[in-house]
Amino acid sequence: MVEEKKESKKNEFEPKIVGFLCNWCSYAGADLAGTSRIQYPPNVRIIRVMCSGSVDSVYILRALLEGADGVFVGGCHPGDCHYLDGNYKARRRMVLLRDILDTLGLEQERVWIRWISASEGQQFAETMREMTEAIRKLGPTPITKQWNI
Amino acid sequence: MTDKILKVKNGDVAGSVNEFLKELLKSGKVHALLVMQEVPSKKISFPVLISDPGQLNANVFAPVLPVSTASIVSKITKFQAAEKLVGVVMHPCQIRALVELVKLNQASLENIVIIGVDCLGTFPLNIYTDFPEKKIPTQFILDAFKNKSKEAEKYLRSACLVCKDPVPVNADIVLGLYGADIGKEVFVEVCTDAGKKLLDGIKLDSKDVKGRENAVKVVREDKANKRDEFVKKKSSLKGIKVLSEFFDKCVNCHNCMKACPICYCKECLFDSSVFDAEAYKFLRKAESKGLFKMPNDSILFHLGRMNHMILSCVECGLCEQACPSDILLMDVFIPAAESAQKEFDYHPGKDPEEKIPMVVYQEDEYVEVGEA
Ligand code: SF4
Ligand code: SF4
Ligand code: FES
Repeated sequence: MVEEKKESKKNEFEPKIVGFLCNWCSYAGADLAGTSRIQYPPNVRIIRVMCSGSVDSVYILRALLEGADGVFVGGCHPGDCHYLDGNYKARRRMVLLRDILDTLGLEQERVWIRWISASEGQQFAETMREMTEAIRKLGPTPITKQWNI
Repeated sequence: MTDKILKVKNGDVAGSVNEFLKELLKSGKVHALLVMQEVPSKKISFPVLISDPGQLNANVFAPVLPVSTASIVSKITKFQAAEKLVGVVMHPCQIRALVELVKLNQASLENIVIIGVDCLGTFPLNIYTDFPEKKIPTQFILDAFKNKSKEAEKYLRSACLVCKDPVPVNADIVLGLYGADIGKEVFVEVCTDAGKKLLDGIKLDSKDVKGRENAVKVVREDKANKRDEFVKKKSSLKGIKVLSEFFDKCVNCHNCMKACPICYCKECLFDSSVFDAEAYKFLRKAESKGLFKMPNDSILFHLGRMNHMILSCVECGLCEQACPSDILLMDVFIPAAESAQKEFDYHPGKDPEEKIPMVVYQEDEYVEVGEA
């Protein structure tokens, strides 16, 4: 019985998500979720960055091409960026990146950008649950099977 | 618009334009010229920066673009704007690239006067240097134009076949072929005050030129149709499998990036050590994937480069020309440029005042992007 249970767990697809979180808001939000012991799926690997505007799309592409099933970018709410306009620029970059994803043939839904403030621990956990389930539905990235890239 | 013509002597268009340019130098109207001139071996023409009119032997209609002349203007003016007037003779695509480089703070137009030339298209380097026809390439393409024949088309670079606009925009003056009877004349269009000043006192004939406007319209429409067809045909080149096969001959030399006028970074991210990693990371990846092609990060380079420059891509095709593996880069880059530039309603090289989309934003735009 116990064995069987282990087996089925192993076969279930667990999305790998890379999360770039801005130091001033989303990262603090994630921190709050942690310290408040709010449960959220462990699928996201968090990388702290100074601002959502400092995430060059090349790093998102790199994560995807290395086999991430999804990439999450978290920033301060519009108008609240510590550097004034980093998140507005990140948003534009995301629009351009969607075009490149189209060329690559990856679903736009694999890359999320969301605004989460330092006080929104609950919001962060909720978003992670949502994203994990959305990516689970999409299935594993087709990139993993492609060895000639 | 067209008000002046340059009379062609003895049917020699290139020679007559050379005389005109010589006059600009001799009279001191310009201190120097950046212009295409045949190298001593006569194999090819390259841009020269010339101040001695006695040595000028310009070949402005040579159907070849070995390097980006926009990059050369950047090289000359990036650290210090020109102190004296320099005339730069350029293809339309290179003027577009120059406008982008100015926006990117990589070139200065101070004391630069742009002499645009109508482009009939250019041949790949090795076709130009080992031209299979009896005539030399310049004569061949000018004769084909004069006789309204399409025989030069089979030699054109694919970028030129579907050129975005073969008529210069943002030049100070334009040497116009479209609509002209080039056995007799070349149009000289004055587009700006700087252009007017340049021609002040230079002997040119005035003529009421009718055919120009319509001829320009016709060639623009023709190219736009060809480009539309190309985009339609190639837009199926998408998806990781197709893309990896498309680039499977890529040897990671990064020549495409070095030849591109828009890729100006002194050290490209992909030439830096950013993606260097310890041996265990390579081995770990091999273990988890089973195998992977080396050198790695090839698709990352192409998509990363695309992401950095596609909004400013002027579709000059110099990337494709530089590729030692003959990868038809325009097949991927033109559809990508079309779609990205449309997304932001951006037109590289068209308006020097138009801001590059990635440096501006509006607070109330794309709000849906950050929402569930
Ligand atoms: S990407 Fe290629 S076609 Fe586009 S501007 Fe650069 S060299 Fe020219
Ligand atoms: S020039 Fe050709 S071979 Fe070299 S990196 Fe570019 S696509 Fe690859
Ligand atoms: S500091 Fe948080 S988005 Fe800029």
